[in-house]
Amino acid sequence: MKLAGLKSVENAHDESVWAATWIPATETRPALLMTGALDETVKLWKSDELTLERTNTGHCLGVVSVAAHPSGAIAASASLDSFVRVFDVDSNASIATLEAPPSEVWQMQFDPKGTTLAVAGGGSASVQLWDTGKWKLIATLSIPRPEGPKPSDKNSSKKFVLSVAWSPDGKRVACGSMDGTISVFDVARAKFLHHLEGHFMPVRSLVYSPANPRMLFSASDDAHVHMYDAEGKTMVAALSGHASWVLSVDASPDGAAIATGSSDKTVRLWDLSMRAAVQTVSNHADQVWGVTFRPPGGPGPRAGRLASVSDDKSISLYDYS
Amino acid sequence: MLKSGEEHEEDLEKQRAAVVELRELEKSVEANPDDPFLRFNLAVCLWERCECKEKAAEHLVVAVKLNPQNATAFKYLGHYYYEMEKARALKCYQRAVSLNPDDFESGDALCDMLDQSGKETLELSLCTEASQKSPRAFWAFRRLGYIHLHYNRCSEAALGLAYQKLGMFTAATKSYGRAIELEDRRVFALIQSGNIFLTLGNFQKGVEQFQRALEISPQNVSANYGLASGLLAWSKECMNMGAFRWGASLLEDACKVADKIAQLAGNFSSIWKMHGDIQLNYAKCFPWIEDDENVEFDVETFHASILTWKQTCYLAATSAKKSYQRALHLAPWQANLYIDIGIASDLISSMNENYGQDQHPWQLSEKMVLGALLLEGDNYEFWVALGCLSGYNALRQHALIRGLQLDVSLAVAWAYLGKLYREEGEKSLARLAFDCSRSIDPSLSLPWAGMSADSQIRDMTPEEAFESCSRAAQILPVAEFQVGLAKLALISGSLVSSQVFGAIRQAVQKAPHYPETHNLHGLVCEARSEYQAAITSFRLARSAIISSGDTSKSCLQDIAVNLARSLSKAGYAADAVQECESLRKEGMLDSEGLQIYALCLWQLGENDHALSVVRNLASSVSAMERAFAAASVSFICRMLYYISGLDLAVSSILKMPKEFLQSTKVWIVASAIHALDHSNRLALAVSSSQYSLLSHDEIIEKHYLTALANLVFFFIFFAATLTSDVIFEWELLVLGYAIYQCILLCRWAVQVKHGSDYCLGFQSGISHVKNALHSYPNSNLLRNLLGHLLLSCEEWKETHVASRCCITEAPNCASKQGLKSGCEILGAGAVACYAIGNVDPKFSYPACGYQCLNGPGAVQELQKYMHQEPWNHRAQYLLILNLLQKAREERFPSNICVILERLILVALSNECYSRESMSYQYQKFQLLLCASEISLQGGNIAGCIKHAKNASSLLIPNNYLFFGHLLLCRAYAAVDDYTNLRQQYIRCLELETDYHIGWVCLKIIESLYNVESDSKISVLSFKKCLKEWKKSLNMWIAVFNLVLGLIYLWKEEYFSAEESIAQACSLASSESCLFLCHGVACVKLARQFCSSDYLSLAVNSLTSAHANSVIPLPIVSLLLAQAEGSLGLKQNWEKNLRLEWYSWPPEMRPAELFFQMHLLSIQSESGLKTPSRVEFCQSSLKWVLRAIHTNPSSLRYWNILHKLME
Repeated sequence: MKLAGLKSVENAHDESVWAATWIPATETRPALLMTGALDETVKLWKSDELTLERTNTGHCLGVVSVAAHPSGAIAASASLDSFVRVFDVDSNASIATLEAPPSEVWQMQFDPKGTTLAVAGGGSASVQLWDTGKWKLIATLSIPRPEGPKPSDKNSSKKFVLSVAWSPDGKRVACGSMDGTISVFDVARAKFLHHLEGHFMPVRSLVYSPANPRMLFSASDDAHVHMYDAEGKTMVAALSGHASWVLSVDASPDGAAIATGSSDKTVRLWDLSMRAAVQTVSNHADQVWGVTFRPPGGPGPRAGRLASVSDDKSISLYDYS
Repeated sequence: MLKSGEEHEEDLEKQRAAVVELRELEKSVEANPDDPFLRFNLAVCLWERCECKEKAAEHLVVAVKLNPQNATAFKYLGHYYYEMEKARALKCYQRAVSLNPDDFESGDALCDMLDQSGKETLELSLCTEASQKSPRAFWAFRRLGYIHLHYNRCSEAALGLAYQKLGMFTAATKSYGRAIELEDRRVFALIQSGNIFLTLGNFQKGVEQFQRALEISPQNVSANYGLASGLLAWSKECMNMGAFRWGASLLEDACKVADKIAQLAGNFSSIWKMHGDIQLNYAKCFPWIEDDENVEFDVETFHASILTWKQTCYLAATSAKKSYQRALHLAPWQANLYIDIGIASDLISSMNENYGQDQHPWQLSEKMVLGALLLEGDNYEFWVALGCLSGYNALRQHALIRGLQLDVSLAVAWAYLGKLYREEGEKSLARLAFDCSRSIDPSLSLPWAGMSADSQIRDMTPEEAFESCSRAAQILPVAEFQVGLAKLALISGSLVSSQVFGAIRQAVQKAPHYPETHNLHGLVCEARSEYQAAITSFRLARSAIISSGDTSKSCLQDIAVNLARSLSKAGYAADAVQECESLRKEGMLDSEGLQIYALCLWQLGENDHALSVVRNLASSVSAMERAFAAASVSFICRMLYYISGLDLAVSSILKMPKEFLQSTKVWIVASAIHALDHSNRLALAVSSSQYSLLSHDEIIEKHYLTALANLVFFFIFFAATLTSDVIFEWELLVLGYAIYQCILLCRWAVQVKHGSDYCLGFQSGISHVKNALHSYPNSNLLRNLLGHLLLSCEEWKETHVASRCCITEAPNCASKQGLKSGCEILGAGAVACYAIGNVDPKFSYPACGYQCLNGPGAVQELQKYMHQEPWNHRAQYLLILNLLQKAREERFPSNICVILERLILVALSNECYSRESMSYQYQKFQLLLCASEISLQGGNIAGCIKHAKNASSLLIPNNYLFFGHLLLCRAYAAVDDYTNLRQQYIRCLELETDYHIGWVCLKIIESLYNVESDSKISVLSFKKCLKEWKKSLNMWIAVFNLVLGLIYLWKEEYFSAEESIAQACSLASSESCLFLCHGVACVKLARQFCSSDYLSLAVNSLTSAHANSVIPLPIVSLLLAQAEGSLGLKQNWEKNLRLEWYSWPPEMRPAELFFQMHLLSIQSESGLKTPSRVEFCQSSLKWVLRAIHTNPSSLRYWNILHKLME
């Protein structure tokens, strides 16, 4: 289990790169890496050479989140002014523009079947579910407020929702908030189930284990990565090692490892069976906002790939084996 | 291909030899016609010569008749008949194979023939027969394989089995996978691959395989067994991770399956053993589930829930014991079952209340273990089990040592031995045993736990003890270890860490009946500022004590104090007071309790009562430990200050013994009070004890605080925020209140009093911070403080420096303790310093001499800031202001306006702006003004007026309200509504403002729209509002004069204009813009009166303008050229025109400039031609053409063109 650097693109964007995800391969092309940055553009890159495929413009403020449909045909990008642009990957034709009040769009993710787009609703303390056929809002999963006004009540801005993740079976949605709690929802009934506690600073990134629909990984500003049994409300392990905020986490397709990116400018690879960091990559010069594993499938080399993006405007690609 | 000569000869030789041999054979056959061997040989010879097969066949037939046992002969006959008579060939081959089953030629041929005629059963039986007859009949095996594959496809499965037997598990799973793919009704393959997955430790996959198998045949015992054991193993994995609830749910499933198998095949001891294992694990794993956290727990419900939890575990354990007994009954020779029963009964008796009290001579568990040992006396594991389960220490030691004799590297035995020695108090022996065990197997948790327990003997720091205990708890999540971990965390101060939180949460699930668990859980929650959860936990802890029947007062007291503290932190002062009072009735209120009591009483407003409590506390200070006494003293000082005011606090500080002041805590409080005190009574006390502050951080804090002290009371609330980190954490609430008061106070101070000492304090504060920063250049705290001070500096002269001196550092630099983060200062600085250092002169020319560099970077930085803290409304606010700045700079492009509108809308909807607090109201006002401005620029006058009216209706000082009405003026002016415009104008005059820019704008509006009113704005009234502005007074008067001059210019009263602007120039002698305006006015006058005096004046001014500007300003040189040209200085005219050409960016050059270049080129044509000069880069005709191209509407250019063409 290791990462080997393949390629780095310095100044891939003109400004800090904030978001990255892989667009799954289709029959006609291999998987693409999609990045979003403060320079208001979204760029698509061909692996492994990281050649620039296209630059999408159109956002008015920095791009905070990008998401790819599991079919690989469409993708979505969201900027600080909370416009979500949904576009066709191969033609860059706009399919839909979803609008929300600013500060109410952060992380986004398509569900595993591709019928729903979940959007972490920031200050609205909720997760919005959009139908991907008609592009209509189908549900808003709100985090219930604590009952009654109490003197030390956590006000609503503390429930600011930053991150969202679908369970691999598509039945659950988890979202992470600024106060460190993670909320789990039952999608079919659109019902709040419970909180997962353990972090006490914002949870910036969440991902379910692809191998195990109960296992959830969370990355938080308290410099820890937690493993949760998301159904049993139990924290299973806390992985410590980062020296600063953990900004991003992704699980490898084989479910044996996770990778994290942090404000301490490093990317770490964690072996889940050992529950320890097996490798620390420190080729970025500034905080690492996104790490993402390439999903399996499609033509081309089958080897595992991990990409990381950072405030230093660069993109790095690693071989994961 | 030609053969070489030698080979050819060799062949010939062979042929010859063969012929000779044939002849000889023929002869011998003729001689002995009854010898089958000779005949056979002859036949083979003939056959191989290939020419006379008939002959060979004849001989063969004879040979076979003579010797019917010759298999080879039959084979050849078979070959012979194969072409002609199939039936005969078949018989021959059959004969051949039955005679010699190893003959693969015949076998293959036979099988092929059978295949062709479709007689597969025959083929199968034939092959089976052959394979049974001879193990070397490979062809038969191969054929059999094909047949199997063809018919029932179990060969893959067989292959898989083979691999499995060989231990090649991965290959085996692949084979099974193929078998399942080929036909998914094969239970065998599913079960076997499930077993392999279990062996490999991939329980989830294994369970899946068994479940699939059970779908096909639900009654299959081995599938059921596999499923149950898979679930059991999986749940064990979960338990080791600490996911008890998950484990329990898996075990429930497993239990159902096990019940089913027990019904199917109740006579296998192994099944009952597994059933017992499942139940036993369930008893160990089943977690106590806390009900909804918001529900108030009383003692009864808690007791009941503990009882049900215990009951469930107990039932599971007894069921396990029964199952083991059944297993033992079925197979009484299996020694390990005795041990299992022993363990189960030990667990059961440990659940009973009176565990360890009755010392029966023969405990059940001990007896059972002895039973096992009787059967297998040399099994060291049994000895270890005896060592754990026995009730006698001597026996235990003996058993463990016996186990070690059997296997010296038995880490478990060493660990238990260590534990035993520890219990007996033999610390050094225990240490030895633990070390031994750890060195043999470092993945064993007990020695780690033992190590942390022995931390005092081992000279370990609390941190090291914590580390090793955390390792123990990580390896094995046992409640005892976890509680110990939390205790060590309390000592080593790492209660906030996630590991501790996770551990104590798991401990609560596993040991809810121990009050200690809940108490520690409460402390952990409190450390993480989750006071609600902490309160619940402390209440639970109390319930646990009461329900356990143990009413030791000291525990109850500790918990009550904890509870009271949490309550007061969570804001339930009344509840906290109640707790304290009940404590006091019992006479158990210690000093910490007294502090909480006093604080809560004060919060409730019962000041007298609080004071009496403080006095109580004061009387007990002398009896306290040093560290705690210091805390109490500082608390007393604060309370005195808050309740009885400054004087009493000062006098009490003066009265108290001097050594208290050497404690940092007390000193900080004292100096904060000193800062508040005007009469300097504490100066001696505070300064005399500074030397005791030692650490680097503390020194920085000292500088910080001294700086603040210099600022008199303006910044005292920063001191409060800072000290809050140092002093008792729970005083934060008090401080919060103090901060609130201070903010109000400063607002008032800023408005009412601009006292001289205030300004002095400010300046000295800044210089002090500068000095401090010089000694500690990498302290972000000081840096940001300096930035903040510079920003708050009244006359705004330093704002450009402010943003330069702060660092927008990595986010983790906990911004809690600072006042403002670097980003905020940067953003605010960029707004305050109006001149965004625009790098692109497309929009404007920077005339600001300060060269402020933040510029467009600020917008990016603020976006980063907002990206990092999206919930932060300050970030949003600053981003909006900066974006507006940018929009204004770029003449309000529509895309930025759209963003701004949306951002403002959301920002305004933020609930914090509904608060009364002045700063929020001010921000709201600013946002509304921004919205209004955007609407105005977008042409939406109605929206603009609406927003501006909203803004003007806010409750903020007139100073600011002025600007709301100013904007209304502009809005009404835009729709030519002069009556309303006049009303708003008068309103502005009534409100008045301290901000000169407001007056300037109002003046412009007044003159632009000729507003009629009684009182006009004059220089005098302007000066009146400016009297607070000492340093920049001249500058602002200059600006005002400039505006007056500009107004005169518009009215074409050039004399007055020149006069005003000249005055402005004399007041501010370094502003290029002023000189430019003056130059323009002079040129106008010169043109009007044809006076060379004005021309020389103009030349002077324009030269100064040129000299003072940072980058060459356009127009200046052009005017200068004209003025000097008019004065007859042709050289200068040329030089200045050239300068002018370069001072324009290429894409913005106006038509007139091209025209002037044309003139220049004509003029110079007569003189010396220097090709490097700009005017010669193209002909004069071209210059005119370019001028026309840029501005085709000017007749003048056309005329010139006309002339040139002629």
